[in-house]
Amino acid sequence: MTADALRRHGPFWLSLIIGMALWEIAGRMANPAFFVPLSETLVRLWQLTESGQLIRQFGESATLFLTGFVLAVAIGMPLGLLLARVRLMRVALEPYIMILYATPMVALIPFILSMMGFGFAPKVLVVFLFAVFPVLYNTIEGARSIKPEMIEVAHSFRSSEWALWREVMVPYTLPFTMTGVRLAIGRALVGMVAAEFFLSSTGLGQLIMTAGQNFDTPGVFAVILVIGLMGVALMRIGLMVERYFARWRD
Amino acid sequence: MEAALAATRESAAGGGRARIRVRGVARRYGALEVFRNVDLDVADREIVAIVGPSGCGKTTLLRCIDGLMPVDEGTIEVNGERITQPIAGVAMVFQHFGLFPWKTVYANVAYGLKLAGASAAEIAERVPYFIALVGLKGFEQAYPYQMSGGMQQRCGLARALAVEPSVLLMDEPFAAVDAQTREILQFELLRIWEQRPTSMVFVTHSIEEAVLMGDRVIVLKGRPSSIHEDIAIDLPRPRSRETLGEPRFAELRERVWSTLFSEARQAEFQLEKAR
Repeated sequence: MTADALRRHGPFWLSLIIGMALWEIAGRMANPAFFVPLSETLVRLWQLTESGQLIRQFGESATLFLTGFVLAVAIGMPLGLLLARVRLMRVALEPYIMILYATPMVALIPFILSMMGFGFAPKVLVVFLFAVFPVLYNTIEGARSIKPEMIEVAHSFRSSEWALWREVMVPYTLPFTMTGVRLAIGRALVGMVAAEFFLSSTGLGQLIMTAGQNFDTPGVFAVILVIGLMGVALMRIGLMVERYFARWRD
Repeated sequence: MEAALAATRESAAGGGRARIRVRGVARRYGALEVFRNVDLDVADREIVAIVGPSGCGKTTLLRCIDGLMPVDEGTIEVNGERITQPIAGVAMVFQHFGLFPWKTVYANVAYGLKLAGASAAEIAERVPYFIALVGLKGFEQAYPYQMSGGMQQRCGLARALAVEPSVLLMDEPFAAVDAQTREILQFELLRIWEQRPTSMVFVTHSIEEAVLMGDRVIVLKGRPSSIHEDIAIDLPRPRSRETLGEPRFAELRERVWSTLFSEARQAEFQLEKAR
């Protein structure tokens, strides 16, 4: 490793090692019913992986996450563009969007439960509701910030409404939408765990619940670690996608 | 090709039909009347420069000719077609360049062609030609933010030329670039025009630029403004850097200047007399 690379990445790895050491020490000093050291967590993580339990539940959670998240982007973005372009719709719907964006979605779960019961669909709805508003909101704000000069240039070149969307509105708005998408990733992850806790218990959420009820503290932390790493990985991907679509901005 | 060129030249001269015909045009913003009674003809391959003080409505008039803005009175015809919205055969170069920042130079130049429904083969053939014509070869994949203002406007010019318009509308195209680049671009534009002559309306703040570019210089002034004078610029073409040094150039520049500022000068004289 060169001195330059050490200077750049050194603090990160050092901080990580210190954090892991602190976890280990604190875990050894604490009551094992509440907190366990890192080493025990990793052993349990290995056991859960080997038994195939973790992989299966991870697959279920990932399916739920992806379904809700993809729906949120697929609906949030076009709807956002439409609301930005059609003033009447925006004026009519904006207050509701603001209220829903500000409402902690967990509060809606009992209502969704009573409406839709325990299937897969209500859980997807929860993930969707957690994720859709940042996408929608950022798309609206982005699309509205487009300079009137850009629209005028399009008109001067005799653009149709469809071509205006395809060539101007969508490419201009994408980086804003992607900021929303990155925020939505984190929220969808919360939605996923919340849905698995409070609706029919499946996936990683169920794994945490069962481990907790069996006083399997290492199991609880093992799954939390998995969810955390999943979040970090997804955020990284989100950031890369965001940068890709914003490559034309200085 | 030669014959076709000769034929269009003849029809333009013989028919005497103007490419652009503006008749009795007025435009208001609410209660404020920007200009009134504007009559203007632009012949085939003629360059008409419009000068006037800030706020006299030069740009507004140009936008009306492009069909981006309706007129309140009178009519505008381009190529015999009454203008109510932008039409084919007319392209505009904007003061703010108007490039799409998310498109590369190549995609920006291809934009107009794409909208006009050109085939992929046509686009692949024409876009590189026009990029080379404006001197941007090698920058096809650059984004606007990576280029200087002068290069951005070259791209804007290529985009307008690529649709092969018979009428070019220039809205203070070099106002946003530095003085040196501006001079370079002026001579570039003259060179390109010699290669591909079109009718042109050239709005500018600069008297020198107007005299250098125009076959005629129109002075717009007053409140509401109207055409104050229509000055023929009898400098020979092709024009180049040497044109700037000709005595006739200085005379014409002086002539436009005095027309534009005659009232200001009169006011000054009166002030001196009062003393």
